[in-house]
Amino acid sequence: MITTPDLIEALATNVTPVRRLRPPLARAAFWLSVAAAILVLLGVSHGARPDLAQRLQEPIFVAGMAASLLTGVLAAIGAFLVSLPDRSRGWLLLPLPALVVWISTIGYGCLTDWIDFDAGSLRMGEAARCFATLVLTSVPLSLLMFVMLRHAAPLRPTPVALISSLAVAAITASALSLFHAFDATIMILMWNFGSAAVLVGLGALLGRKISSWSPQLPAPSSR
Amino acid sequence: MASGSHDRIPPLTLVPSASNAEAESSDSESTGGNEVAARDLDWSILMARAQGGDGEAYRRLLTDIVPYLHSLARRHHRDPGDVEDTVQDVLLTVHAIRHTYDPHRPFGPWLVAITKRRIIDRLRRQGRTRTREVALDFEDVTFSTPGANLGEADWNKRVLRDAIERLPPGQRDAVRLLKLQEMSLQQAAAASGISVAALKVAMHRAIKNLRKMLTKSGDGT
Repeated sequence: MITTPDLIEALATNVTPVRRLRPPLARAAFWLSVAAAILVLLGVSHGARPDLAQRLQEPIFVAGMAASLLTGVLAAIGAFLVSLPDRSRGWLLLPLPALVVWISTIGYGCLTDWIDFDAGSLRMGEAARCFATLVLTSVPLSLLMFVMLRHAAPLRPTPVALISSLAVAAITASALSLFHAFDATIMILMWNFGSAAVLVGLGALLGRKISSWSPQLPAPSSR
Repeated sequence: MASGSHDRIPPLTLVPSASNAEAESSDSESTGGNEVAARDLDWSILMARAQGGDGEAYRRLLTDIVPYLHSLARRHHRDPGDVEDTVQDVLLTVHAIRHTYDPHRPFGPWLVAITKRRIIDRLRRQGRTRTREVALDFEDVTFSTPGANLGEADWNKRVLRDAIERLPPGQRDAVRLLKLQEMSLQQAAAASGISVAALKVAMHRAIKNLRKMLTKSGDGT
């Protein structure tokens, strides 16, 4: 086994200049601007849902929409803060109020729409496009978040993975409700909670996997 | 990449740390507090230089923090090997994520957060090992064949030897000469200067005492 003085010597000999991370708020803003760009691109290519103007008149839809977007924004800010070792874990609670509002509006929509539920209104074509939106939004955002927060792996892998998954899920859910008209609340619920659960579960799983990676001693020949 | 990123590092300005502010507010702890604050400031400066690629500053910083890391690790680990491993884990983590340190903030909390994380990781790993692995005690490994039950034979021998040690000196000598060294009564009498009759009596009493002692210890366990 290497002794501590030898380790220090090896680390000090191999030290290379590093670029400091930008402030967490600036990094969150960058991630959110990428998310906004993806939403805009999707909107241009796909077009908004046909009944968007009508739905925007409904206070519940607007509240749910605003709450899911706010959840995404706050969760992203929380993720970039919590990923730093010297910031409080309390930032994990930042998206909680918005999350509660968002989930409560979904529940309400579910209750009111349940009666109108018509099995014939679910068509595969629409479901496939809906899935495309889900993948096109969540995959790039997750990858970007993963790359930006990889330094958190040896610190707080699970909380960071959870809160960043929440950010991605909330943004994805907003995209879904912007671009897809479904009367089938069950379907939307499935996407919303399904995507959130899958992302959160995957995040937790990945978080644990990554936590077993230990930082390696740099090889003397590297760089 | 290295030189380009180096240029982008913002100029370092030093601000009073949280511990410094605390030290100023309380007069009684001002000396100790100032020392801590000064040390924290030193570490901040050294780390900022290390981020710029200054190997000498980095070496000084790591050497300086090792005793502190030792004291933190010793609160949770008793085994010196575990303490050393934790300290090395912390050093490697500090190295891997040194770019996350912001020199505008105090260095102490950043380091302590990483150290706590590594201590908890090691404690968890030990907990998992303890629940899944059982240390083998070779004395417990026995088989049906008598030849393999060496552990049991050793155990019986030790109990008997302890019992013999506890006998009064005269009886102990009788057992040693007549039984352990397998002398005849005459040889034993010649060797010890005790009469044959006295040896016989001592041996008889010794056997009686041993039986009593061994029965008692057998009941007790």
